[in-house]
Amino acid sequence: MAPKKVELKKEAVKMSPEPETAKEPDFDPQSIKIEFSTDQIEEFKEAFQLFDRTAENQKKILFSQCGDVMRALGQNPTNAEVLRVLGRPRPEDMDSKLVDFETFLPMLQHVAQSRDKGTYEDFVEGLRVFDKEGNGSVMGAELRHVLVTLGERMTEGEVDNLLAGQEDANGCINYEAFVKHIMAG
Amino acid sequence: MSIRAALLIQRWYRQYAARLEMRRRCTWKIFQSIEYAGEQDQIKLYTFFGFLMDHFTPASSERNLISHIFRKNEFCHDTEWERYFCYKSIEVTDSYTGPHLTFPMTFCGVSKLVEAFKHKQQLHARYVLQLLGETWRLLRIFPNISQISAYHNKQITICGDLHGQLEDLLLIFYKNGLPSSEKPYVFNGDFVDRGKNSLEILLILFGFLLVYPNDVHLNRGNHEDHIVNLRYGFTKEVLGKYRVHGKKILKLLQKIFSWLPLATVIDNKVLIVHGGISDKTDLDAIARVDRHKYGSALTPPKPTKHAVNGSKTQTINNREACGPVEGRRRVCSLTYCSSGPAHRHDLPRRSLHNAHISSQLNWSLEKELKKRRRLAGFDQSYRELRTSDSDPESGETTETDVGEWKQIVDVLWSDPMAQNGCIPNEVRGGGCYWGPDVTEEVLGRHNLQLLIRSHECKQDGYEFCHNRRVLTIFSASNYYEVGSNRGAYIRMGPDLVPHFIQYQASRTCRELTLRQSVGWTERSALRALREQLFVHKSDLISAFQEFDPNNKGMISLRHWASATERVLNLGLPWRLLRPQHVSSTQCGMVDYQQWIRELSITEPKQEISDNSILETMYKNHSNLETIFRIIDTDHSGLISFEEFRQTWKLLSSHLQTEISDKAIADLAQSIDFNKDGVIDINEFMEAFRLVDISAHT
Repeated sequence: MAPKKVELKKEAVKMSPEPETAKEPDFDPQSIKIEFSTDQIEEFKEAFQLFDRTAENQKKILFSQCGDVMRALGQNPTNAEVLRVLGRPRPEDMDSKLVDFETFLPMLQHVAQSRDKGTYEDFVEGLRVFDKEGNGSVMGAELRHVLVTLGERMTEGEVDNLLAGQEDANGCINYEAFVKHIMAG
Repeated sequence: MSIRAALLIQRWYRQYAARLEMRRRCTWKIFQSIEYAGEQDQIKLYTFFGFLMDHFTPASSERNLISHIFRKNEFCHDTEWERYFCYKSIEVTDSYTGPHLTFPMTFCGVSKLVEAFKHKQQLHARYVLQLLGETWRLLRIFPNISQISAYHNKQITICGDLHGQLEDLLLIFYKNGLPSSEKPYVFNGDFVDRGKNSLEILLILFGFLLVYPNDVHLNRGNHEDHIVNLRYGFTKEVLGKYRVHGKKILKLLQKIFSWLPLATVIDNKVLIVHGGISDKTDLDAIARVDRHKYGSALTPPKPTKHAVNGSKTQTINNREACGPVEGRRRVCSLTYCSSGPAHRHDLPRRSLHNAHISSQLNWSLEKELKKRRRLAGFDQSYRELRTSDSDPESGETTETDVGEWKQIVDVLWSDPMAQNGCIPNEVRGGGCYWGPDVTEEVLGRHNLQLLIRSHECKQDGYEFCHNRRVLTIFSASNYYEVGSNRGAYIRMGPDLVPHFIQYQASRTCRELTLRQSVGWTERSALRALREQLFVHKSDLISAFQEFDPNNKGMISLRHWASATERVLNLGLPWRLLRPQHVSSTQCGMVDYQQWIRELSITEPKQEISDNSILETMYKNHSNLETIFRIIDTDHSGLISFEEFRQTWKLLSSHLQTEISDKAIADLAQSIDFNKDGVIDINEFMEAFRLVDISAHT
């Protein structure tokens, strides 16, 4: 089901910059102005509560879940961006510290305002890098290797999930169709 | 360049996975809410029956319809029961192609049985009764709490709910091996209902129990209860498979269920019960009860002693004894041996929960029932019901029985919650919700280190909570729908550390991708939800119209969500579900009339003049079926028109709505009732099942 996407100003199509370095200023929730509508906020609350595994009515999620909830709500931050809005927590905090909705909302707003979300065209361009023959398809095996070894690495299982049913008999993936499939998810 | 591309793909994947996860959680919530609402419904129905039993004259036809489910056993001694259950007169003819069993049961015999069931054969009624008879005899000598040990390097296997899903049991045996002295098993209840092979599972488990009584341990679950079985399919399954001897088999099973042990303890350290605990849980008390007295956990016990007749009640007795009983409202039931003293303040006990809530219910129900009875002409003359006359003696007896009963209900029905404390389990209607502090207290008090329980379906087949002191294990995979969840079992050695093995039974679902399986389950859940919305059509429209005083046909999203939740009361995330249900919104407004029309449910082709009775029927599909099956005392699957009419009267009392005789007559006519004067329950229920036309596209 398509989640509500937050309206953004149209950005120029370009590849995302390098991942944020430590030189970036710390995330300051006080500086964020919430621009979501009441209806949107109510919907976010529902989703937030759906991920609440801690309690009946405790209405909190773990640090480690924040990224997923933002993504479920139509954003797609990198893991680095998520860690930044969480205040760069220690690894051991991720599965123990909790966030309530009031704390979560400014984080979501900030991520929603990020300029490098990556459009359909960006995504296709990204995959075109691996299109050695320029024929609209990439080798599944190569893509697998890249996703597991570079960037914010995925597991074998995650890659299997991603590529399930996408490779043809020769192990090739038509990437325009693939991108449509992922974005429709 | 490659790194940037990789990053992009990876973040998109993560979004894709998160959205899928959200859909999966939504779907889960839908199934679970509808399931628990059904359970709550049933408890309400039985609370109502209990009330009827206490407050109607014995001769009233309504009471007669249902009194047998509360009646004490017809025979008093086990020897008489043995005669009744005797299998010896049942002949196995040459045309029978199923397995032949010899007794005493052997490992070969049970293995043969497993193989036969794998090949979809059916066991002859003679062998069924024989096997069940042996099981009953064996269970009677077991204590309430089985004590077992994992010393001597024995790995113990612990399984959770199976719910009639034979494929899961077979898969467990395939992966783990059959039970034996070297391979002890604990099965933690809920073997029956919902799935279609409940009886086969029981026969296999009992077979192994007979062969290895020290190494196979069965705990009773809340579904090992003949009254629950009436609603959730086990009764229907047995009667369908054994048309001649089904009733006897069910009766024997009723006894067996009441004799199933309530708990298992491993090395005095690990407690295994089906539901859970409460702050009152006391294993010593549980060890002492006469567990077989509690046939169904849904009906509280009648006090065992008869109270001394106080002076107030003496005159009533005399009057009741002298004159005709019909048409007279019973004030208190001292005169009727089967029920024992029942006072006005009995009702709170019947409802399983807070007294004050029930007494409010009691009062308004009282008024309604009075009016109804007057209208129905049941009462020639009646008097006001007495306000509570507490009889201290009977009160004492009653309290002990009720205390014991509560221990059992808590152990079979409770669920853990995250907050501290212990509160009644309103969702299920029985048992309680218990918190981590209660876990610590109860485990500490009994010097235990782990509580293993089942009762709740879990996505991965198992789940820890309460600081890993409580472990839920659930062994019915694809419980809600193909692909909905995995099943799991536990292997535990002398170190008492649980290890998990997970599985999913259906071959079809293993071939589905994650996304396909989420989609499949989701479609099924949405179908179920649409049915719920449809049956509450009129209530929904009324609720929407409250927010639309000018009758524009549009309401805001916020009002739509809150009205829908108020009517359905399922605790669902309606805004998230909206895109699946409401195709059109303009500027945050919902065209609710169109939405209702778009629910795309077809009604059956029958021409019924009275729409309200149809809606009542859809809303109360399960209640109706339950009442039918209770009324059908000879389990023939057939009821007469008069019984049909009485069913509707009962239902209308329970729901506190008027259902006219004409409407009932119309309904009866529409299914060609009058041709032979009887109706087949199954056919009737099928004829009025809702069909979602989108299921066929």
